Amino acid sequence: MGSWDVLLQQVINGVSLGAMYSLLALGFTMVYGIIELINFAHFNVFMVGSFIALWMMQALGFVGQSTVLYGLPLIGVLLLVLVGTMLCTGVLGAAIERFGLRALRGVSGTAPMITTIGISYILFNIILLGAGADSKNYANPMPQIHWDIGQAVLRLREILLWGVSILLMFGLNHFVRRTKMGKAMQATAQDQEAARMMGVDVDRVVLLTFFLGSALAGAAGFIFGLYYNYTSFIIGYTAGLRAFTAAVLGGIGSLPGAMLGGVLIGLVESLGGQYLAVRWTDVIIFSILILVLVFRPTGLLGRAAPTKS
Amino acid sequence: MPISDAPPTPSQRRPPLLEFNDVNTYYGELHVLKGVNYRVGDGEIVCLLGGNASGKSTTMKTILGIVKPKTGIVSYAGDAINDMPTAERVKRGIAPVPEARRLFPRMTVLENLEMGAFTRSDTGEISSDMERVCALFPRIKERLKQSAGTLSGGEQQMVAMGRALMARPKLLCMDEPSMGLSPAFVEQVFDIIQAINRQGTSIFIVEQNANMALSIADYGYVLQTGEVVLHGSAQSLRDNEMVQQAYLGEMKTQ
Amino acid sequence: MPEPQLRPSETTPPPAMGRGASFLPPIWHRVRGAAGQRAFFLVLLAVGVFFPLIDRNEGDIDAVTNALAFAILALGLNIVVGFAGLLDLGYAAFFAIGAYSYGIFASFQVQPEWWGFWEPFQWLGLVQHVQEAGGPGTVHMTVSFWLMLPLSALICAFFGALFGVPTLRLKGDYLAIVTLGFGEIVPILARNTPYLTNGAMGLNGVASPSFFGYVFGVQSTPFFYLGLALIALLVFVSTRLKDSRIGRAWLAIREDEIAAEAMGVNRIKLKLLAFAIGAGFAGTTGTFYVAKLQTASPEMFMFPVSVMLIVMIVLGGIGSVAGVVLGALILQLLQSWFLQDLTQWIHAFGNLTGIGFFQRLDLVQSIELIFGIILVLMMRFRRQGLIPERAAVTALTHAQQTAVPTRGGAASGLAPLHRRAIDPNKPLLAIRGLAKAFGGIQAVRGVDLDVMPGTIVGIIGPNGSGKTTFFNLITGLIAPDGGKVLLAGEDVTGLAPHLIVERGIARTFQNLRLFANMSLLENVLVGTHSRTSTGALGAVLRTPGVRREEAAARARVIDVLGIFGNRLMPRIEHLARTLSYANRRRLEIARALVSEPVLLLLDEPTAGMNPTETLELTDQIRHLRERGVTVLMIEHKLAVVNEIADKVIVLDYGEKIAEGTAKEVHSNREVLRAYLGRSTDAVAAAAAAS
Repeated sequence: MGSWDVLLQQVINGVSLGAMYSLLALGFTMVYGIIELINFAHFNVFMVGSFIALWMMQALGFVGQSTVLYGLPLIGVLLLVLVGTMLCTGVLGAAIERFGLRALRGVSGTAPMITTIGISYILFNIILLGAGADSKNYANPMPQIHWDIGQAVLRLREILLWGVSILLMFGLNHFVRRTKMGKAMQATAQDQEAARMMGVDVDRVVLLTFFLGSALAGAAGFIFGLYYNYTSFIIGYTAGLRAFTAAVLGGIGSLPGAMLGGVLIGLVESLGGQYLAVRWTDVIIFSILILVLVFRPTGLLGRAAPTKS
Repeated sequence: MPISDAPPTPSQRRPPLLEFNDVNTYYGELHVLKGVNYRVGDGEIVCLLGGNASGKSTTMKTILGIVKPKTGIVSYAGDAINDMPTAERVKRGIAPVPEARRLFPRMTVLENLEMGAFTRSDTGEISSDMERVCALFPRIKERLKQSAGTLSGGEQQMVAMGRALMARPKLLCMDEPSMGLSPAFVEQVFDIIQAINRQGTSIFIVEQNANMALSIADYGYVLQTGEVVLHGSAQSLRDNEMVQQAYLGEMKTQ
Repeated sequence: MPEPQLRPSETTPPPAMGRGASFLPPIWHRVRGAAGQRAFFLVLLAVGVFFPLIDRNEGDIDAVTNALAFAILALGLNIVVGFAGLLDLGYAAFFAIGAYSYGIFASFQVQPEWWGFWEPFQWLGLVQHVQEAGGPGTVHMTVSFWLMLPLSALICAFFGALFGVPTLRLKGDYLAIVTLGFGEIVPILARNTPYLTNGAMGLNGVASPSFFGYVFGVQSTPFFYLGLALIALLVFVSTRLKDSRIGRAWLAIREDEIAAEAMGVNRIKLKLLAFAIGAGFAGTTGTFYVAKLQTASPEMFMFPVSVMLIVMIVLGGIGSVAGVVLGALILQLLQSWFLQDLTQWIHAFGNLTGIGFFQRLDLVQSIELIFGIILVLMMRFRRQGLIPERAAVTALTHAQQTAVPTRGGAASGLAPLHRRAIDPNKPLLAIRGLAKAFGGIQAVRGVDLDVMPGTIVGIIGPNGSGKTTFFNLITGLIAPDGGKVLLAGEDVTGLAPHLIVERGIARTFQNLRLFANMSLLENVLVGTHSRTSTGALGAVLRTPGVRREEAAARARVIDVLGIFGNRLMPRIEHLARTLSYANRRRLEIARALVSEPVLLLLDEPTAGMNPTETLELTDQIRHLRERGVTVLMIEHKLAVVNEIADKVIVLDYGEKIAEGTAKEVHSNREVLRAYLGRSTDAVAAAAAAS
């Protein structure tokens, strides 16, 4: 492949990865924006989501890539599993907030974050023990349609991934900016006590935020499985690092920041893997994280700085 | 404790809109409000005077339900509301204008006003209230689409008051409305408070600026280290030596 | 103004046992304190010494030796997380560095070609020359284990400080993330530099230590006794550090780092010190562990190890030395001893009842799940851990407690303030054009002020006029946009807060920033930080000089508390959060005074006090002037200002609008207008008429 084609291919890959990281980062940054909590468990909710989607597909009878669907049946199946997964992970996230974190809401310091580490461990190990350490082959009924751009390849799954991600992000944006509940979320994130004084039920708002954020994580998990054709118990960790860095890079607490950061990190991963070496990707991403936190803690678009007042 | 000798006013003879009965509030182990009694009559303007760390912010938070008293009863419109959540209180007609305004900085002025009506669902009435608020504060009308955080202090105070009015409150609770405002703005704000009161809303003001507060209030309380040390009609407080010394400056010994 | 609030550090709530309410702590309380902990460790040590003689099983001894190693790691992490309050999620990185330091330099891994450069090292016994036929031969690293034990501590201490630097200004959560980052990067580096580390396969052929000719080899028993000695040493070091000037400074940083810095604690230095010492512990343990295993591979040092250490200290009790040792031992022995047995019982139960789940359950594999559950449950229900930390400050002797407080006692033994002689005719504090803007708002605009020595100057003004910002600019909490601050002629503009304290300016806070979970004694002792100099080494060794300094500090504390009669003295061992509001105000003033400032900045010292208390404090402030302390005070109560201020300035909207005696300022029309609001003309007319 000519070098421009390689570049284009990696850009396509990068944007696809980026879309996934954006979805994951969005949910994470939403929670941080509302209660200033780094929720480690978020990334394993994503991992659990990919397994739930896998099991749903299997329940519907899809195993591996043996069955291929087209058109409406394809969309129907994917939609069903997507919505189902999002509901499940949304409920999981809400349950985590309600039973694991609400009691710690007023507590300052790092106790709440440590709790999320514990919850993260629990989720991780439940899947590990229950489903095993091996990588699971993902059921994928999508046809192998692709388009050629020069020598770069744009596959159907990429279009689908971008489409779903953009739709979800638009949906979230509309909800937050235009609905009454969404504005209540904004208000709570900007001044929790003043929101309470307006009569906003802050507990409900936080619960809703966790639900929405975790639902997005579940969607990202399903997309991961479709894109890579596999899932495993470890993906929460690897994708999580990238999504977390994306959120910080874009500006923690900022929704547009999460989207921008996601795409940037996706590109860093694909281009870095191509032009440097895959084994150094983790180090590069961690370095970006550390550099951003040290030199520009507000990130690219953010406002709330993670520095001491 | 000294009480005004004047006969009870008409509003004092009616049942009170808001009442604190022997309320004790704690922050952790700190006894912040010590057996305080307040009474806000229907249609009155009542002010609470106190210095820093006197307990006035706690009073405000207790009225709104953000802080719960350990003992004593807070009653509103005849009902004890000690355990009533904030949202419910707002629905029943208590609206706050918080200290330092506390607008939602990255939402527009319009959205801030809408948040004031959060507990209401009568959209038609909400729109007409919005118009009324804009009529009362022309400067707000000009800036509806502006981010609230970019307004000046005085403009923010207007928006904060408008936001509270959007809840169609029976009782407006204002926490230090004059703080950080230029004297000109302070005069405007207090004029508007009187206008709102004339339309039937009762007002409870917590203030350090005793002069301003007493000039429009019907009744006043003086809070010191969590205790009400003095209360009476606004006129009697203005004439009171202790109040003059502490808050109005030593005017006599010149 | 917002209500005053203390800032309790909630990750480590105060001890479950309340502090004694009486003047003399009851006997049982003393037993639970320092003596109790000592007993705990002595018992543990005794058990340890006889353990291998009783249980001859090699596997058991091995398991306990590993447990000891992790207990030392937990102790080191406890210094960072427990003492200084810095959540480190990547602690295993230092474990790795310590391990590889020994591993690389005591194995056949790195074998450069021999040349003259290596001769002196050979002479020192650090390397050997492996002769090869027909060539210069290669270098075989043979650094002695015993040399490496302390050396790897130093190497890791260096890295500890290095990794700590980027975290200095970050909030707790983000600090944790950055440390996590470093914790990840180190094993990745180890895996990807096979030349040094043999990559994922791990080092092999790491030399076993030898002690006077006796080679440790693969037996666990010699390592066991070495481990026991190490842990005894490091428990000793931990305990000494905790009850020292350094330990108090760490605790202050953990409680409220802004206030700590404003009391003279050099935040940056102390945080880095905590990172360094904590890392040092891990370095030594790394060397120990790898010598015992005779190999090191990246998998041994990954994130799960860091998390396990966190679980250990959470379980045992963050900040508690006995607690973290207990937590580490429990979790390690749980893994190596009990879980296997427990699993077999569960299998038997499963076979009995025919329930498949129990038949297949393997607890050993589920250990991480158990860790997660422990974290969640502990944080929810018992944040202080199994053995809650208790403040380590040695209780006052009976004599000290009943000492009659004196006034004006000389603080001998404390380092005197480095100050030039103060010229009584020149201003002590000279401020020119001080300015600060926040966003678009000018909080302080070009304020000039002269404060003559031995005077009390009052600052008044409406809320929001910039008074506290003014104080924050002088004391270095905020950097000014412009202007100069001169103290006795020396330019101190924009210096860090702890340097300002060293120069002789101390302050109190309007909203009170006490160290809520520390006792009165500890709070005021922190105030002496800038006048004492015991470092970490001194804290551990407790030389006579160090003891003298500590005694002098305590004498000074008693002296200062005496200014407030018997208001504070009887409560000297009580936690600050139990104090009444007025006493909290007094405590803050005492804490500021104890650093012997030449200039004391008081921010609304009488706020929240009733008239009697206000009069009392006013009197005490007046006495301070007689002791030679110059006072600059923000006050709302005009009566107080009228009473004792020699000069008053009025701020409004960040500007100085009036200056003069209290009387002059009062009749100033501008002041009346700004301060008092509407109808000022009417009021002034009334005043003129009376």
